[in-house]
Amino acid sequence: MSIVLVGINHKSAPIEVRERLAFTDDACAVGLRSLVDGQVVREGLIVSTCNRVEVLTETANGKLSDTTERVIQFLSREDFLPRSFYETHLYTHTDDQAVRHLFRVTSSLDSMVVGEPQVLGQVRRAYSIALEAGTTGRILNRLVHHAFRVAKRVRTETGIGANAVSISYMAVELGKKIFKSLEGQTALLIGAGEMAELSARHLVDAGVTRVLLANRTEEPAARLATELGGEAVSFDELSSYLAEADIVICSTAADHYVITEQMAREALNKRRNRPSFFIDISVPRNIDPAVGDIPNVFVFDIDDLESVILSNIREREREAERAELIVESEIMQFQQTLRMLDIGPTIGALRQKLQDIAKTEMTNQRNRLGSLTPQQERAVEALLMATVNKISHPLLSHMRRSYDASDSETIQAWRDIFGLEE
Amino acid sequence: MRSLLLAVLAAYVVASIHAVLAFINKRRALQRVSEWAMVTGFVLHTAALIADWALYGHYPLFYLRETLSFLAWTLVASYALVLYRYRARPLGSFTLPLVSVLIFIAIINRSGPGGSAEAISMSTTWLFPVHTTLVFFAYAAFFVVFVASIMYLLQERQLKLKKFSAIFHRLPSLTTVNEIATSAAAIGLTLLTVGIATGMLWSSSRDGRLWHNDPKEIFAALTWLLYLTLILYRSTSSWRGRMAAWMGVAGFALVLVTFFGARLMGGYHVFG
Repeated sequence: MSIVLVGINHKSAPIEVRERLAFTDDACAVGLRSLVDGQVVREGLIVSTCNRVEVLTETANGKLSDTTERVIQFLSREDFLPRSFYETHLYTHTDDQAVRHLFRVTSSLDSMVVGEPQVLGQVRRAYSIALEAGTTGRILNRLVHHAFRVAKRVRTETGIGANAVSISYMAVELGKKIFKSLEGQTALLIGAGEMAELSARHLVDAGVTRVLLANRTEEPAARLATELGGEAVSFDELSSYLAEADIVICSTAADHYVITEQMAREALNKRRNRPSFFIDISVPRNIDPAVGDIPNVFVFDIDDLESVILSNIREREREAERAELIVESEIMQFQQTLRMLDIGPTIGALRQKLQDIAKTEMTNQRNRLGSLTPQQERAVEALLMATVNKISHPLLSHMRRSYDASDSETIQAWRDIFGLEE
Repeated sequence: MRSLLLAVLAAYVVASIHAVLAFINKRRALQRVSEWAMVTGFVLHTAALIADWALYGHYPLFYLRETLSFLAWTLVASYALVLYRYRARPLGSFTLPLVSVLIFIAIINRSGPGGSAEAISMSTTWLFPVHTTLVFFAYAAFFVVFVASIMYLLQERQLKLKKFSAIFHRLPSLTTVNEIATSAAAIGLTLLTVGIATGMLWSSSRDGRLWHNDPKEIFAALTWLLYLTLILYRSTSSWRGRMAAWMGVAGFALVLVTFFGARLMGGYHVFG
């Protein structure tokens, strides 16, 4: 294995450096084509997001230091950037460490918010760009696919992405915890704050079918209503709509309780006790805290949400420890995959075998040749070896081609034909 | 028969361990192993019960070991139904270990029959198997109500306190456990009603009396009343929460008294 990864991320560098090194999609493709020359770098892939730039390469000549040097030079963008500007912020990983780093990045263990789901998509995108640019080959193709598999395993087998770590997503998560599914539920937005809007969007994505919007001034409510496919309702008739809402998100600038205990109790009665879920992200609070004491009504104010988020982050960190174990075991699996694929020993063994046959025949027949001068003897040996090499050359290049195409069946067939051991 | 029951125990232990691990680790593969082991165990278990019946010529509910084994069988069947209907996997982490313990006791227990030879001879009528089977399934349903109610109370409390433990994130939603508790209570009550009725019929065919004031009968009647109250209470509104859940817990305590306690107090219901 000769994999080199050079990168920079939110932990190693400030935004001033990261933004200068970042690649657009087009720059990625162009850059990859110039980086991957077949001499020093055989395969390459660039992951560039707002938090990181990772250049993943496979060396062509087996010299890791050459490749590292070339990638660092490459990042200077044809000398627009002085190396001193970014070099100290870079980290370099080789072989197993590089594999580990890629697995951790793809599984979102290296993210600013551990477990955030976007990074997998970003790596996918980076891979498709590299694929289009034709700069990935047998090693990186396998490595990246393996990384996707690790990410999937981590996501399903640990709770790393399970608990919401943003206020806006909290509504969806707690909603699902109370109502099984948000499909067919109704949400009521009181006030048209940015956070409330974001929460509502998440709710709609999660299946909430009906969104009611109430605002003191009609216009923002009407705008949001068209955007979210909801209905604007009158602020004065709030109490009658309260009974229809399963989830209520409150964020007005009012300095008094918009929802009183009395209103909530009446709503619960009309709902025949079905539970409802209130989120109050306004300061000062808009929902009377006494509402939270009513059975089957669950109220979360901004402090509650923050503290749940804090504990969720800690929970994610605990889960991340389990994810690290998965990553370690997958690194071993990947090494195994590579060994299986490695053509070197097979080619070596085949060449050795053919040469051995020639040498044995030579010793067997040597006596018949009579006395030879040393020059003649060397010429006969050279003749034999040249014949063996000429005959085996197309064979070996065919094998290399099967190998490059990851055609392990054909390789196995060759091994069987010549009786080569694993 | 013991060797067959040992195989059953092995399957259930495998199912329990995997169910608990799946609960902790959230691994689908573990859950699948658990479910297959449970199905295997259940098939063997059913075979063991039928073989028992055929071999001894009486419905397998006279010895304590038979009773426990039969109870375990109804619990597995109920869990399988809940799993099929609600995908409520966490229930398995509670049910399957209990089932394993019941089978284990059934295997090591060597006590003689609870009933006299006369009782055994009386039990050849079809009413006996029907009566006992219905009541046992009712108890299993009440166990489901109990576990679902505990899950409800736990989650409701944490939602109110806004402090969530790791277990919170692994339990089915509040709505799901509420639905499970409601429908399991309704099914349990129906079974118990018919079960008690057939019991009375059987008893009257034996000695002409419907009621013997035996502790088991009294507690069964109390259990029946409690679950009837629970159902009525639930039906007056579309959602009842805490209070109903507490009743589900209390009801199960009463079931335990009926099942085990009455045994200690003696009386007419000598077996099981």
